[in-house]
Amino acid sequence: MSRIYRFLDERLNLGPLIRGIADHEVPAHADPLKNLSAMIYCFGGIVFFILLLQALTGVFLMLYYVPSPEDAYASVNYIQNETSFGSFVRGIHQVGASAAVVMVSLHMARVVFTGSYKKPRELNWIVGIFLLLVVAGFCFTGYLLPWDQKAYWATTVGVNMVATIPLVGDFLADALRGGKEVGSLTLVRFFVIHVMFLPAFLVFFLAAHFFMVRRQGLSRPL
Amino acid sequence: MANRDAPSAEAEKSPSLFYPHHLFLEALTAVAVLLILTLLSFVWDVPLEEMADPGDVTYVPRPEWYFLFYFQLLKYFEGPLVVIGTCVLPALVFTLLILLPFLDKGETTRIRKRPVAAAVCLASLFSVVALTVISVVEDELHGYRMVLPPITGEQIAEGEDIFGRFCQICHSMDGKGGFIAPDLTQIGSRANRAYIERVVLNPQIVSQTTIMSLIPLSDPERHAVSAYLSRKKETGQKK
Repeated sequence: MSRIYRFLDERLNLGPLIRGIADHEVPAHADPLKNLSAMIYCFGGIVFFILLLQALTGVFLMLYYVPSPEDAYASVNYIQNETSFGSFVRGIHQVGASAAVVMVSLHMARVVFTGSYKKPRELNWIVGIFLLLVVAGFCFTGYLLPWDQKAYWATTVGVNMVATIPLVGDFLADALRGGKEVGSLTLVRFFVIHVMFLPAFLVFFLAAHFFMVRRQGLSRPL
Repeated sequence: MANRDAPSAEAEKSPSLFYPHHLFLEALTAVAVLLILTLLSFVWDVPLEEMADPGDVTYVPRPEWYFLFYFQLLKYFEGPLVVIGTCVLPALVFTLLILLPFLDKGETTRIRKRPVAAAVCLASLFSVVALTVISVVEDELHGYRMVLPPITGEQIAEGEDIFGRFCQICHSMDGKGGFIAPDLTQIGSRANRAYIERVVLNPQIVSQTTIMSLIPLSDPERHAVSAYLSRKKETGQKK
């Protein structure tokens, strides 16, 4: 182990990089061992862990999932009932989505409660709002993918709501649906948004979020 | 509540390091979260309903629980007002959220010294919880969350009997019965079972001015009627 590390360190000079991450000081007011109520500071970290789980289970679901109206339902059914651990992976993905929403809300409540959005952390708060929108987008697009009754009609209602926006509503709704009705184009669009567009946004905003937390440190009570 | 007690000077002097101390705690928390999610995924059945049927216009969709509050809010804005619910309010809320750090500018971060911020946040939290509860309760009352027992032959026979005694006074079926109300011979092709249940429970969902009266049926009786009617498809035969 240490030989491998030395090999890499000699060539890549990893020392400063690792020390920068590892020797970062965690303030005592956010250390649960010194003060149990500091657990409120770990909601954000839990969100991150759940998002990792979602990515992992999502990749495995994608091994079987087929985004077409003829096959989507059957493929989800197959994942659920035929593949080994399929129902488990899908279960984690489903419960994880709810858990992510709960933890995002708690994280946000904590930030409001401790006034952590105040100067100098305004920008990180705004990035957080964008992350909230990204998570909501994941939830909305993921709902259609099983292509069951609930999925189809909830999406129809959701897109109809978009259509009520003045001026641009109709255009946006048509763009989301790929036409006038929820159909095969809609399914592919929602699938691609769910597995390509939103993850890209998520990675970008998360990187910004973490970068700013590290630069600015945790807020302390004033 | 970490902020209430200012951390002692001594504790501040000896902050712990991210690695290994904090990372270990985070790994522990992650394992705990994974365990809880695993348990929940076994307790909480992942629903997969019938395959989507774009022709079935009687299906009443409900969003996932975390969007219920918004769904309920939209019910209060009908017709031309709907734009307030779908556009004005969300835009307002997100603008306020983004501007929050610039509106709540005071030095102090303690929640007790920020009564306005605290009040606004508690009020929003309360509204979200209240709207969610109202949505669930309304759905319970109107039968949108019914779990229907699987259809059996006995049920269909019982349903036919009850239909003959109560409904056929007004509705006709296969050429027999009253003509005050619509013919129900092929009702199974036009409406799904859940919809039939809801109409029997609350006839006014068909129309505000319906003359159909509330039929006092027990739950099993109503399930029998809906089982019978949902099987009356185009051929008029039991499927």
